[in-house]
Amino acid sequence: MATRDENNRIALLQGTLDLLILRTLLFGPQHGQGISRAIQAQSDDELLVDHGSLYPALQRLEAQGWISAAWGVSENNRKARFYQLTKSGKQQLTRETNQWKRLAAAIGRVLEPQKSEG
Amino acid sequence: MFWRRRKNEDFSEEIQAHIALEAERLRAEGFSAAEADAAARKRFGNVLSAEEQFYETNRWLWLEHLRRDMGYGLRVLLRNPGFTFVAMLSLALGIGVNALMFSVVNALVLRPLPVEKPGELVFLENNHFGIGQSFPNYRDFRDQNQVFSGLMAYRVVQIELDSRVGTARTWGYLATGNYFDVLGIQPALGRFFHKEDERGEGGSPYAVLSYGSWQARYGGDRDIVGKTIRINRHPYTVLGVAPRNFHGTEVFYWPEVWAPMMMEAQIEPGNPWLENRGTFNAWVIGRLKPGVSPSAATANLNTIAAELSRRYPDFDEGLQMHLTRPGLMGDVIGGPMRAVSFALMLMAGLVLLTACANLASMVTARGADREREIAIRLSIGATRWRVMRQILTETVVLAGLGGAAGYGLAQVLSKLLSAWHAPMDFPIQFDVTPDWRVFLFAFAVSLVAGIVFGLAPARHAAKTDMNAVIKGEQLGWRGRRIALRDVLVVLQVAVCFTLVASSQLALRGLQRSTDIHLGFQPQGVSVVQFDLGLAGYTEERGRSFQKQALEAVQHMPGVTSAAYSNSVPLSIDENQNSVYPEDQPNLKASEVIAAATYEVSPNFFTTLGTRMLAGRDFSWHDDRKSPDVAVVNVAFAKQILHTDNPLGKRFHRGPGGPLMEVVGVVEDGKYETPIEAPRPAEFVAMEQHYNTTNTLLVRSSLPQNEVVANMRVAMAKLDPDLPLFGVGGLDQVLGLAFMPGRAAAIALSTFGILAILLAVTGIHGLVSYAVARRIREIGIRVAVGATPAQVLRVVLGRTAWLMTVGCAAGLVLTLALGKILSTLVYGASPRDPLALLGVLTVIILLGLFSSWAPARRAIRVDPVMALRHE
Repeated sequence: MATRDENNRIALLQGTLDLLILRTLLFGPQHGQGISRAIQAQSDDELLVDHGSLYPALQRLEAQGWISAAWGVSENNRKARFYQLTKSGKQQLTRETNQWKRLAAAIGRVLEPQKSEG
Repeated sequence: MFWRRRKNEDFSEEIQAHIALEAERLRAEGFSAAEADAAARKRFGNVLSAEEQFYETNRWLWLEHLRRDMGYGLRVLLRNPGFTFVAMLSLALGIGVNALMFSVVNALVLRPLPVEKPGELVFLENNHFGIGQSFPNYRDFRDQNQVFSGLMAYRVVQIELDSRVGTARTWGYLATGNYFDVLGIQPALGRFFHKEDERGEGGSPYAVLSYGSWQARYGGDRDIVGKTIRINRHPYTVLGVAPRNFHGTEVFYWPEVWAPMMMEAQIEPGNPWLENRGTFNAWVIGRLKPGVSPSAATANLNTIAAELSRRYPDFDEGLQMHLTRPGLMGDVIGGPMRAVSFALMLMAGLVLLTACANLASMVTARGADREREIAIRLSIGATRWRVMRQILTETVVLAGLGGAAGYGLAQVLSKLLSAWHAPMDFPIQFDVTPDWRVFLFAFAVSLVAGIVFGLAPARHAAKTDMNAVIKGEQLGWRGRRIALRDVLVVLQVAVCFTLVASSQLALRGLQRSTDIHLGFQPQGVSVVQFDLGLAGYTEERGRSFQKQALEAVQHMPGVTSAAYSNSVPLSIDENQNSVYPEDQPNLKASEVIAAATYEVSPNFFTTLGTRMLAGRDFSWHDDRKSPDVAVVNVAFAKQILHTDNPLGKRFHRGPGGPLMEVVGVVEDGKYETPIEAPRPAEFVAMEQHYNTTNTLLVRSSLPQNEVVANMRVAMAKLDPDLPLFGVGGLDQVLGLAFMPGRAAAIALSTFGILAILLAVTGIHGLVSYAVARRIREIGIRVAVGATPAQVLRVVLGRTAWLMTVGCAAGLVLTLALGKILSTLVYGASPRDPLALLGVLTVIILLGLFSSWAPARRAIRVDPVMALRHE
């Protein structure tokens, strides 16, 4: 496997990482490394998760009560801290998804006005 | 670390797990183990930085810092046991004094009465007799007002109580039937009396016991309710026992019995006043209806008072009412008490302030040694706020420790104070046991003290110039300007001077007061007191009992002279009479002079040791059949009869009272307080003016306790049930008269000692600081040949100057306060150069003593060491 050209990846916008983490956890409990991998894979390797901000983000979400954490064992028998979406986390995900969609649509209209007029 | 959500170690473990998982995945993608590991690490980035970030997002970080600062602070304190001890001692004293003063103020002024909604209670006063109201007036106020949900009346009375442990003359309250209901309290046992229990005069022989009386006199007997006890030798049924914490509505007076007001005639024999509108004997407390303001209540009362004034002009003309807080006999004691409390609090505050000032300079002086530590902290990235916080934490920890010690000290002292009984025949007692208010106060004071004395050194530390310090440059002595520290030392010395001087003056005054000319010789006189009225004696039986008692004690061994009287000078039982010279029987109220008055037997003057200047003593022939005669003092002759030779002159005793002929003149004496100016006094024959309250006096050459024991035996033979009170040597019984002066001297001496301790630490701190700052300079001076004297001049010059200013200020303050002092303590005059000189010497010695150690350090500076310094 070739070395990735990491410079070409898109750095995440402020605040979007939280949304992506919540979204990833919708499919079930996952550990930090798994979350980071999943985001990368699902974005077709376009998004790079900076680990320096991944863990503080997890920390933050846990403090908000949107995710909960417990030590468990990974598929290849390694001890890892697994994060799970809570009920209020699911509600938060719906809210943030809607917000993000509206934001994306609005930015799209600004960047390509002719489309929205036409 | 229970307050942390998640440990740092837990987080590190998660990161390690992450890297391991990543490496495993990379290996699965075909990397070699070493390559995968390295790539995973590289991919993760800076592990340390992630950990640090995690640490700092912790929301309890400040608490974590606080814990560390406190730990560090404690270690620093433990490393400097000398400093810690001195600091804690001065804080413990400062905070202890404040907590103690506060618990006194709390007990007397702040703590509400233990009754329901104490804020609604008000005490009624009028413009004629202050705290007393006449009972008919009370009834009119009670029935006509629209502002009180209840209005009750009561009165402090003496009673004779016959209990299992013998009869005793003790104290209680007469109270109207609604008394307990207006206060809203529940009995500890049985029931209280109520309005329905009032069945006309003499119709409700009921008693409620105080908790203390029930315990002490009846052994806490739970079957006491319904039993009959004897009060003034009449049967009374015990209804119940008051709750333990309830001692009536006066915070300093602890009565034993409550009896219904309707029993007044039995409780106070020979003095019925319930139907007398002119006798203002009742005290009145009302409970305001919810929502009624005190001013509205006053207005309503005054409307009724105006009506009373119109209807009963003889008694109530111009009557006006006002309200005060209950608890301290209205404004009579309440006013001065609040003022004294405030003054004492202020003094205590001053003591604490000086303690804080000392500590501030000590901590700053120590800060000079710690400058390098702080500079290093700053240079490796500590913020200045963080450094300030570190130092503040240390001082607050210190203040907390000192505060705890101080609170303990206050606890012990207030227990002693609560257990104290005034040396007098009156149940004066305070409960100054610290409660949560005192604890809260001590806690707040400690915290504030810690911040106050930490602020200056903390600011100083934060301003540290790290470059200069680390390079080893001394910032030098820049203190030619007037620093706050200097002002504080001046203040301290001034306060110290004032307190020490005042206590000195007070003590010298007290010393002199033993030489006051009292007008009688208390040494060698023993007394017993008894009340024949309370004991149910009729006048005839009483008269013969008096003679028998006198007869009995006269024949005791060693007795040279004996007499009886209604009271003795300088005791609390002091009576006055308005006196009208024979030719001026209709003097206006404002022109009448009141004279101290005593009913005495023959030989009273001989027994007491009062000199007869002219005329004769009373004789047993001055009885009911012969004309009324009187003996007066010199002041009476001069001020009332306007003559130097009053023998044969006559005067009316009271308005329209009997005409008295002066048959003798005695020397002036002291009657109410030992510091009063000469005042008129009249003595009349007990044979002609019977009184039920009696003091039996004997002058004897035998030891006092022997005489007193003999007197008890002699009295018991005559009437074994008659309670005796005020038994002892006359000088003991008079102790109360000298109490204010003694109390003032004790308080001033205590504060004086405190002030000395604080001034010593203060001056020590200042000189230490000066030496610490100037070690290099001194080294240079010594190197270029300065003598020890020159070094001392450098180090001590400023201190000496500050002390001079402080002493001067203290002298001015002492002279200014001298006036107040002389009203408290007889003979204390600030014009006492010897005493002031003594104080000055003490202060100079203090200065020398406290700068001794640092000055020695300065002289012993080794120039080589000082210059190489670091």
